[in-house]
Amino acid sequence: MRRKIIELKGITKAYDGETVLDHINLDIYDNEFVTLLGPSGCGKTTTLRIIAGFEQPDEGDVLFLGEDIASLPPYRRNVNTVFQRYALFPHLNVFENIAFPLRVKKVPGAEIEQKVTEMLRLVALPGFEKRSVTSLSGGQQQRVAIARALVSQPKVLLLDEPLAALDAKLRKDMQAELHKIQRASGITFIFVTHDQEEALSMSDTVVVMAEGLIQQIGTPTDIYNEPQNAFVADFIGESNIVSGVMLEDRKVKFHGQVFECVDEGFGKNEPVDVVVRPEDVDIVPEDRGQLRGVVTSVTFLGVHYEIIVDVQGFKWMIQTTDFCAVDSHIGLSIEPDAIQIMHKSKYSGMFGDYSSFSNEFDELSDAEEEE
Amino acid sequence: MKKNNALKHVQRAVLAPYGVWALLFIVVPLFFVAYYAFTDASFHFTTDNITRFFTAKSQVTDAAGGTREVRTYLLIFWRSLKLAIISTVICLLLGYPTAYILFRASERTQKILITLIMIPMWMNFLIRTYAWMTILQDTGILNRMLARIGLGPMHIIGTETAVVIGMVYDYFPYMILPIYSVMAKLDMKLVEAAKDLGCNGYNVMKRVIFPLSLPGVISGITMVLIPSISTFYISQKLGNGKFYLIGDAIEGQYTANNLHFAAAIALLLMIVLLVCMALMQRYANKKAVA
Amino acid sequence: MKLSSKIFTALILVFLFAPIVILLVFSFNASKSLSVMSGGSLYWYRELFRDAETLGAVRNTLVLAVSAALISTVMGTAASVGIHRLRSKAVRLGYEQVTNIPMINPDIITGISLMLMFVFVGRLFGAATSLNFWTMLIAHITFGVPYVILQVLPKLQQMDESLAEAAMDLGCTPLQAFFKVEIPEIMPGIVTGMIMAFTLSLDDFVISYFTSGNGFETLPIRIYNMTKKTVTPKMYALSTIIFFTILALLIMSNLIDTSAPGVARPMRRERTAEQKKRLRLAGGIGGVLAAGMIALMIIGAPDHPVLNVYNWGEYISDGSEDCFNTIRGFEQWYRENYGSEVEVNYTTFASNEDMYAKIASGAVSYDVIIPSDYMIARMRDEGMLLPLNFDNIPNYENIGESFRGLYYDPENQYTVPYTYSFVGVIWDAERVDEADTGDWDLMWNEKYKGDILQFNNSRDAFATAQYKLGLDVNDPDPENWSRALEELKTQQPLVKSYVMDEIYNMMESGEAAVASYYAGDYFTMLDAQAAGVDLRFYVPERTNYFIDAMCIPSCCQQKELAEAFINYMLEEEPAVANAEYIMYGCPNRVVYESEEYAEDMGEEAMEILYPNLDDFAEKYNRFAYRNLDPETLSLVNTLWEELKIN
Repeated sequence: MRRKIIELKGITKAYDGETVLDHINLDIYDNEFVTLLGPSGCGKTTTLRIIAGFEQPDEGDVLFLGEDIASLPPYRRNVNTVFQRYALFPHLNVFENIAFPLRVKKVPGAEIEQKVTEMLRLVALPGFEKRSVTSLSGGQQQRVAIARALVSQPKVLLLDEPLAALDAKLRKDMQAELHKIQRASGITFIFVTHDQEEALSMSDTVVVMAEGLIQQIGTPTDIYNEPQNAFVADFIGESNIVSGVMLEDRKVKFHGQVFECVDEGFGKNEPVDVVVRPEDVDIVPEDRGQLRGVVTSVTFLGVHYEIIVDVQGFKWMIQTTDFCAVDSHIGLSIEPDAIQIMHKSKYSGMFGDYSSFSNEFDELSDAEEEE
Repeated sequence: MKKNNALKHVQRAVLAPYGVWALLFIVVPLFFVAYYAFTDASFHFTTDNITRFFTAKSQVTDAAGGTREVRTYLLIFWRSLKLAIISTVICLLLGYPTAYILFRASERTQKILITLIMIPMWMNFLIRTYAWMTILQDTGILNRMLARIGLGPMHIIGTETAVVIGMVYDYFPYMILPIYSVMAKLDMKLVEAAKDLGCNGYNVMKRVIFPLSLPGVISGITMVLIPSISTFYISQKLGNGKFYLIGDAIEGQYTANNLHFAAAIALLLMIVLLVCMALMQRYANKKAVA
Repeated sequence: MKLSSKIFTALILVFLFAPIVILLVFSFNASKSLSVMSGGSLYWYRELFRDAETLGAVRNTLVLAVSAALISTVMGTAASVGIHRLRSKAVRLGYEQVTNIPMINPDIITGISLMLMFVFVGRLFGAATSLNFWTMLIAHITFGVPYVILQVLPKLQQMDESLAEAAMDLGCTPLQAFFKVEIPEIMPGIVTGMIMAFTLSLDDFVISYFTSGNGFETLPIRIYNMTKKTVTPKMYALSTIIFFTILALLIMSNLIDTSAPGVARPMRRERTAEQKKRLRLAGGIGGVLAAGMIALMIIGAPDHPVLNVYNWGEYISDGSEDCFNTIRGFEQWYRENYGSEVEVNYTTFASNEDMYAKIASGAVSYDVIIPSDYMIARMRDEGMLLPLNFDNIPNYENIGESFRGLYYDPENQYTVPYTYSFVGVIWDAERVDEADTGDWDLMWNEKYKGDILQFNNSRDAFATAQYKLGLDVNDPDPENWSRALEELKTQQPLVKSYVMDEIYNMMESGEAAVASYYAGDYFTMLDAQAAGVDLRFYVPERTNYFIDAMCIPSCCQQKELAEAFINYMLEEEPAVANAEYIMYGCPNRVVYESEEYAEDMGEEAMEILYPNLDDFAEKYNRFAYRNLDPETLSLVNTLWEELKIN
């Protein structure tokens, strides 16, 4: 049985009367790579800071190996943080930055030397001991920050959007690197990001957060394939989310058509949200389609085309390798296991229609990410 | 890029007036100090002024009543240095926590406190020193207040304590402000990082905040040490005329119209201070790199 | 804030504001004392506004500070831009080091170095006055510029290089780019630098002391020169007004700009249009004011003659406390008798030696000076005085016979006596046994250990010992001076304090019980003595008699005008006013024979100041200070240092 290393119980936090975390419950297990994923202002960084001890929850308990640590100051917690902009000490060189926590604990010099060297090897920076931290590149600073946080062998490493300041290529490398380091060190990583791709590619467990609430906890596959509400479906990957009615087990009706699906256990005639991933829609001749529509736009994206199809006024996004001309009439066909049924939630109707779709909007909301 | 180069030329040209000014009124006058220091009244070369500084002797009576011979100016210099160092250390001990409190306070409080600390600097310092006499003398405000709560009179005026109080008072803001302005630029994330890596409050101060605020401390020390080593008004008024410091010696030689010896003392004082500053700067740089 | 922090901050503020509170309170004192409060009044404020000389000094201080701050700011900003663009690291480092010099050099060295150069260059070109407003302005700019650079240069370094390029890309000329984009970016640094330069100039005493010259007296210098007499609550009243003015300005400036003065803080980009407008308005007003002031200094030089008078601080009836204003009186009298305008530029010195140092530097020009006898003898011997044309001074006949033909001017060629007095011993009858009084032994009496005040100037201090020992105060024999030194060393453990003007405060409040000082000043103390203090005065048999006399130095530019001034000073109205103001003896017959004067002074004063004048000349010639030769002067200075380091 996996050991629970951190438990958050009913954590509530408000700033100036504005609730940031609303009764959060979360268990984090030993040797796990957990990602807190969500848009800016969802409360993920606050959660991290509460675990680190920089913030005190207004309500609720923080348990560390079963013990309440809510009142423990950060320096007494066996938890270290890698900061977003690294927070390396400019007055110390690489070696001394990494040695810092050991010096504070008055570890003997020889041991420090050995541990720091080991850490530098782990983060692939051997020979950098005497360098000034201000002379390092972003990626190198990142590695020093990780080494510094790991050197005193914490039980948990917190990473606050550590890759945000790196360029795309470096980011990819560091993702792999982080994953490797986590496996090698066997320490629990709690990673905060707003980048869903990052979250899916690195994590054992993804915690999707929005508006101070946990929306879904699961493996990357679960989260992608079986989103539990419209928010998660939309935030993770691209989704067409249509309003429908569950007629009976394995039968759902939307756009006036009845579809076969694999979901069971909903009430009879219960209104539901239906999710279909763009890559799961097949394009067929108009007369053979379960649904019929008109192509309104086509974008070539290299591996595939992304086309928007107007079906009874609702805009579907479809990713396909077949070219369709704008204004052509086509049919759509969906396999039963490509249909994911969700209960109605407060996010219903807010997402999943591509009538106003634009890549720019996504980028804008990324840029607003908190500092 | 042509435009840009033209801009740079213009901007280098605007440096010229200051270049000339600095040469004429900063550099050249220092040569005059040296020139006077090494000449006699008829401007013939001599090293007498310098020798006199090192060799002039006086008889002093020590506590036991015996007399001994001392090197007059070396003793004066040593005493000035001692008082200046004491004052600087006290300024640092009081100023550093003040700067730190400022740094931790809310922005509004910071603004108010800075203003309050600055205000006394705009009052004439001769007058402020005079007011201290009223406070510190044996029948002064302080002793009258102490008497009211039943505490014995404290004899302060005319003692080293009074001179040090005067110096600390006058130069205190010069210690706070540079330290504070360095701290104000400090990234709070570094403090969090240190706590996260196991530092308690004391260790955060010792290992992060203090080393990072060292440049401010160095410039604070400079700004307090230098005026307090060369003051002559404070020692006259609060020291009851019993403290004859290097500033008094220079002023005394000037009023005795002995410009050449005054220049010699000034030159030697300047050399000692420049060496001190250079050493301190080097220490600070080393610390910053390490 | 934590409670401990709050307490600490509160204590620091108490420390910083204690003296400020003291001067606020005492500025409302009804009496002249700076240590004993005797009821509230606005008297000293009224006095302040009648004191044209002090107000003039305030104006001078402001003119100097504003001009220095503005020029420093312009030059410093330009220099920062230049330094910032320097490509050569070595040149850049050189500039930075040179700029550091005025900041890390003690001000006494900056002052001395500039003074030495001005004097030397002045001599080289044979200029009559090389120390004046302009030399002070140069000095103040010299120490102001580095502080501006200190503030502006980092702002330039923080600035995004591409800002100017973006502006030029959008159609600005380089100059426009600089003024429209770069200047606003570094504005907080410029403003802070200007405030610093202004503040430093306003409060500077030491550098001004060495570089000041003709007739341009700033407030700090005027205050320092009050040490012959005493600092009155008038100065506290002035400080109080300054305090509230600054407070008001600070509150206003906080509305304009949120960054605290004197401190480099992160830039605030979001300044509203309203704030910008106000900033520009304030800058504009400041600029116009300063330009006006400088213009006044240049073209505003009056077209009528200016008479430069150089006198001890607080040594003329200046219209304060309802007395007659001698200086304005002369200007009016001259207008009435000669039909033309004249302006008196009146400045002060703190000691004969200060005065001599300035005149001997050859860098100043004064028309009338009022030194003491031994200094007159020295200046006469050194050819620094001009013989007077007594045809222009008919009132000389008012001078009493006893005050003519004295040693310093046996032929009555160079001087017209202004005041005379002698040194006596002041004692507090509440604490001193009358039986112990009468001669100099009281100053060496073990019983009064820690209650005795001695002069804080070498000549007067040595003289007390010499009179006590029966030595000749003018004997150059080193043995004579060594014996006096030994006597002073014996006295040293008994001495509470070596004082000049501090004596007023200390005697009036009962801080000390025995002191020797000049006869007339005793009356000032008597007027202000606290409850429980009962001051008395006696003149030992052997003591110093001195005369301060009006002379014309060889640097004089307006000899006839100077003689007219001297003549006027002997008229009854100004002479009586001066005598009553200074409270020393007056050698002018129209004064000491005036019944009204005798009545005003009171019986005790008349008895002390005007004992039998018949043997005055004899006593004077026996006991007065003579000029000492340079070797002896140097010896006295050295021995004095020896006493002081004990």
